[in-house]
Amino acid sequence: MTPHGPAAARLAARRPFLDAAGAAIKSQDRSRWVNPGDEELVAAAQRGDRRAFEELVDRHKQKAYYIAFDFARDREEARDLSQEAFLKAFMNLKNFDGRSSFYTWFYRILVNLCLDYKRRQKRAPTDSFDETLEHDVEPSHQPQQPRSPDQQVLAGQISRRVDQALAALPARQRTAFILKNHQGLSIKEIAALMETAEGTVKVHLHRAVAALRQSLADFA
Amino acid sequence: MADHEKSARPCKEREEDLVLFHYGELADGERRAIDGHLTSCAGCAAYLTELAALLPLTVKADKPPENFWRDYNRELRRKLDAAGEKRSWGELVAAFFRPRLLPAWGAAAVVTLALALTFGHKFWPSNDPPKEETALIEALPVAENLEFFKTMDVLDNLDLLESMGNPSDAI
Repeated sequence: MTPHGPAAARLAARRPFLDAAGAAIKSQDRSRWVNPGDEELVAAAQRGDRRAFEELVDRHKQKAYYIAFDFARDREEARDLSQEAFLKAFMNLKNFDGRSSFYTWFYRILVNLCLDYKRRQKRAPTDSFDETLEHDVEPSHQPQQPRSPDQQVLAGQISRRVDQALAALPARQRTAFILKNHQGLSIKEIAALMETAEGTVKVHLHRAVAALRQSLADFA
Repeated sequence: MADHEKSARPCKEREEDLVLFHYGELADGERRAIDGHLTSCAGCAAYLTELAALLPLTVKADKPPENFWRDYNRELRRKLDAAGEKRSWGELVAAFFRPRLLPAWGAAAVVTLALALTFGHKFWPSNDPPKEETALIEALPVAENLEFFKTMDVLDNLDLLESMGNPSDAI
């Protein structure tokens, strides 16, 4: 039976990439190409295969978005920042030499963009700051169910204090903390991403936690 | 109650390890050492409990709706199209300036310049004015001098008139 409907359309759309990949792997392990790794996709994208790059986007877009969201704490900004990171990666793909993994290379681009964004934001604070904090506030530990006005006020206060405390951290401490606490990356991954020693990341993380603990002591 | 009274006080020298313990980043031996310490240190145990309560507060959850991701893909594809176009032009220009092609482009430029200087005057329009215009240009200073001499004539006539007005001055 031949596939039909959206599945067939999706298959047809991916056909050129699959054909190209299939031709290249005759002598290689076929199981790898059922679900090609990032490196294979990067190599195909470097040869000009747009679909290979779009596959990379599909794989990493959600994580990229959530990292950007952790820095920006705003949906629109997070979307723009993560898209900008993909564009930058696309434009510089020829310079990617594979010394680090695509994952590390790409998330380094993203984190640098996020840090630049925070620096710009500090220089030119917008008046939408409070508005952003008041709605959309949903600390992850809280169940998503109707809350009393008192609870909503408290959630707003917590979120505001958290935002201020995170914003007050030095850039490298904030980066280490977000990547560990929010994204669950290992110290080793964070060190590779920040191009620093693992010991340095541990120090940044400890200092960030100490500073946040002091700022948020009321809510503990 | 003051903040410092509410906060748990861990052993200073173990604070960093406790943070790493919280995140599961300690090696087996170090983790066992902290586990053993926690049984006898209320301050460090309370500190860990506090971290477990506090740190999740800093995470803001976001779950964009399904159409957000559809729009995300569409918008990114459009941006990639624009970037691809820009890049292909850039690559075309960059191809002209590849290091290994530079000597060839330099030699071609020198030859073109030499040919242009040698044979160019036959093909390029001359900047010299036509002959009639040359004659006119040469005559122009003469004409200006003529005007000057005419003025001199008027002055001569004035002298004559003055001398006629004063007969004593007449020679």
